[in-house]
Amino acid sequence: MATATMTVQSLKPYFPWITLVILVSVVGLLNPAFLKPNSLIVLIADIVPLFIMALGMTFAIYIGGIDLSVQQIANFVTVIATVFLLQFGIFVAVLCIITGFVIGAISGWITTKQYVPSFVATLAMGFIALSLARFLSGERALSMNAEARDATFGWIFERTVGVPNELIIAATLLLLVWFLQNHTTFGRALKAVGAGELAAVASGLNVDRIKILAFALSGTMAAVAGLMFSAKLSGGDANLANGFLILAIVAVLVGGTPLTGGVGGMMNTLAGTLIVVVIRSAMIYLEINAIMQQMVFGVILIVAIALTIDRSKIRIVK
Amino acid sequence: MYQLTKVNKKFPGVHALKNVDFFIGRGEIVGLVGENGAGKSTLMKIIYGAHQPDTGTIEIDGKTIRFQNSRQAMDYGIGMLFQEQSLITNLTVMENIFLGFELQFSNFGVINWKSMAKAAQYQLKKVNLNIDPSTVTSRLSFAQRQLVELAKVLTLEERIDGDLVILLDEPTSVLAQEEVQLLFELVRQLTNRVSFIFVSHRLDEVLELSDRIYVMKDGEVVDTVKGDKADIDDIQRKMVGRDIDKEYYREYRQKSYDQSKKLVSFNAVSVAEQFYDISFDLRAGEVVSFVGTEGSGREAILRTVFGLNNPTGGQFLVKDSPYSTGTVREAVQRGIGYVPRERKVEGIVNGMNVYENMTLSQLSSYSNKGILRVGEEKRLAENWVEKLSIKTPSVEKDCGGLSGGNQQKVVLAKWRSGGSDVILLDHPTRGLDIGAKEDVYEMVRDMCEDGAGIILVADTLEEAIGLSHTIYVLKDGRFQKCFDGSTGDKPSLYDLVHYMI
Repeated sequence: MATATMTVQSLKPYFPWITLVILVSVVGLLNPAFLKPNSLIVLIADIVPLFIMALGMTFAIYIGGIDLSVQQIANFVTVIATVFLLQFGIFVAVLCIITGFVIGAISGWITTKQYVPSFVATLAMGFIALSLARFLSGERALSMNAEARDATFGWIFERTVGVPNELIIAATLLLLVWFLQNHTTFGRALKAVGAGELAAVASGLNVDRIKILAFALSGTMAAVAGLMFSAKLSGGDANLANGFLILAIVAVLVGGTPLTGGVGGMMNTLAGTLIVVVIRSAMIYLEINAIMQQMVFGVILIVAIALTIDRSKIRIVK
Repeated sequence: MYQLTKVNKKFPGVHALKNVDFFIGRGEIVGLVGENGAGKSTLMKIIYGAHQPDTGTIEIDGKTIRFQNSRQAMDYGIGMLFQEQSLITNLTVMENIFLGFELQFSNFGVINWKSMAKAAQYQLKKVNLNIDPSTVTSRLSFAQRQLVELAKVLTLEERIDGDLVILLDEPTSVLAQEEVQLLFELVRQLTNRVSFIFVSHRLDEVLELSDRIYVMKDGEVVDTVKGDKADIDDIQRKMVGRDIDKEYYREYRQKSYDQSKKLVSFNAVSVAEQFYDISFDLRAGEVVSFVGTEGSGREAILRTVFGLNNPTGGQFLVKDSPYSTGTVREAVQRGIGYVPRERKVEGIVNGMNVYENMTLSQLSSYSNKGILRVGEEKRLAENWVEKLSIKTPSVEKDCGGLSGGNQQKVVLAKWRSGGSDVILLDHPTRGLDIGAKEDVYEMVRDMCEDGAGIILVADTLEEAIGLSHTIYVLKDGRFQKCFDGSTGDKPSLYDLVHYMI
């Protein structure tokens, strides 16, 4: 009995990957066409913006918070990218990234310095971003100048030795945040804050700064996601990225980073995002309509939270 | 009428109650005294049903009973008067009195406030409290709240037929002298229907009120004395028990300290509502300890040295210069390490491994431009694991899975490996077994030999006496007396206790 629980415990970190393999096999059996390498690559390349957003969200959830503003930051950024592309060229990307960083940092400041729980702080900042997006876009769907778009961002959607550049970007970012998490003092501090904030304070870490930076990085990644999405669709609109938020949260939680923080991390979010993709393509294959899909993800979210949350860390839930 | 026979209760790692026999008769007032950790609160929890005994029996009027929870205990007439925190301050007095028992005033789920107010008035009258029952509780004084608590417990009189037992847990801690007398008056009046169990740190009050006194130590009842024959000194001796063992506290390793090297100095430092006008010096190689009862300000002093509290007056120097920011970060940078009482919350990060915990306070020493040198971290950890003989399969093992003593060693290693030379120990041996305690005492001596200074808030008085060079006694946040703790010239427990209460 003891050894059985021991093995279950030691397998726990691999649950998301095991789930992924099982899901892929099941979907592959139902629909063998799903497993063709080319269609798989296209499928994965398609969700790169979501994946990047989920990586950012991982920072917020890893420290035990959450960032509900990511979708609106991405919306805002699609508008910024479209409106200012002609004026700034490639530097519009810098503008977008700064926007995401600043909005995230403000959320972090509100959370740490004003003691507003992150879900409220980021929700509020999300509405502010949405409103700015509407204002800047004049509440219209805008299109990028086609020539400028191709000249500036066209390369993203080409391939290098057969691999879509989107995937290369995603892999590079993943490597970067993984390194940040596992090999830097910042990553170590994130873990300490997520697993035991009071001990981190009592060890002399600047916990506020670490938290603010975590939210800023979440905002930054959301901006990168919005930028790529905007370039992909060649336009911007205050509602373009709608539907991303729940998927990004599901990806992080299903990947095994619980809302209570401290465990999991970037590689888990990779697994989680892939699980989301497989489920989504399975639903498309099974002809479940788009409205029902949201419901399914809602249910998955609840189940994932209930399964992963560390109840010993929470005394009161409101 | 209420009787416990051979009650045992074990918690992981602690035998909290050992074969305890306890009896209370009709209308009797029984005192319960003992040091922290003697088992008083566990015994009380068993009496009012919050804990169930592992073995042993509970009898009321000769019938054996087993409570699943405190609500069931109430149904047998056993109530608990909590220290003031059990009232919900934003509810009215009557809502508090009948919290959980509103059904009697409701018609189809709608509460009849008038009848509740009337019933509450009746209860308040029992405790001679003349206030409007619809007053919001937060507007009452602490003494009034205490009486409301009592009124709440006394609703048992109407609900239950037969005798009542009411536990009073430190009921006088927030009361002024004349309020205490009023409460005692009331308690004596109520004994026609109610028996009381009175728990307090203030021995003189226990002696004054109780008919009989149970003295507890290390989970056992060591004596029962009649109230009129009791003697404070005698009870104190029994609470504290065994003679101090010099070997145990490594007194032979206590060396004199370096008078010239001041690590920390307090000059009439105050922190509002915590402590006032405290002055002391900590020198290299010295162990300074603060003793006093809970709330005497001893922990607050440690937290102030560590930058968790900011002084509201006086001068505070660390190595001859004041704090500039008064934050934990600055304290850590200036060589101060804190070993907190809440080891699992503030000491180690549960979920991080041994080397991650050890370097947490000194990440910059193990990184280049923010990139960690994990190899060096592991070597450091392996070094200290060997030095302090920390029992762990590897330095990559989660600290949360280590035993308490080994966790404590990891916390100490964290500070010592980073070169901290002022170590603040807050109940460093709490919850540790004997062997682990002795390891901690060895480490205290080691640190002194290395020229560190230690400020100690000990788990027991014996520990404070055994380990310290200098002992400060505090009471209600104020300095009472300073004792020299040089070997061979150590004060006795009774010397200290005398100034504590």
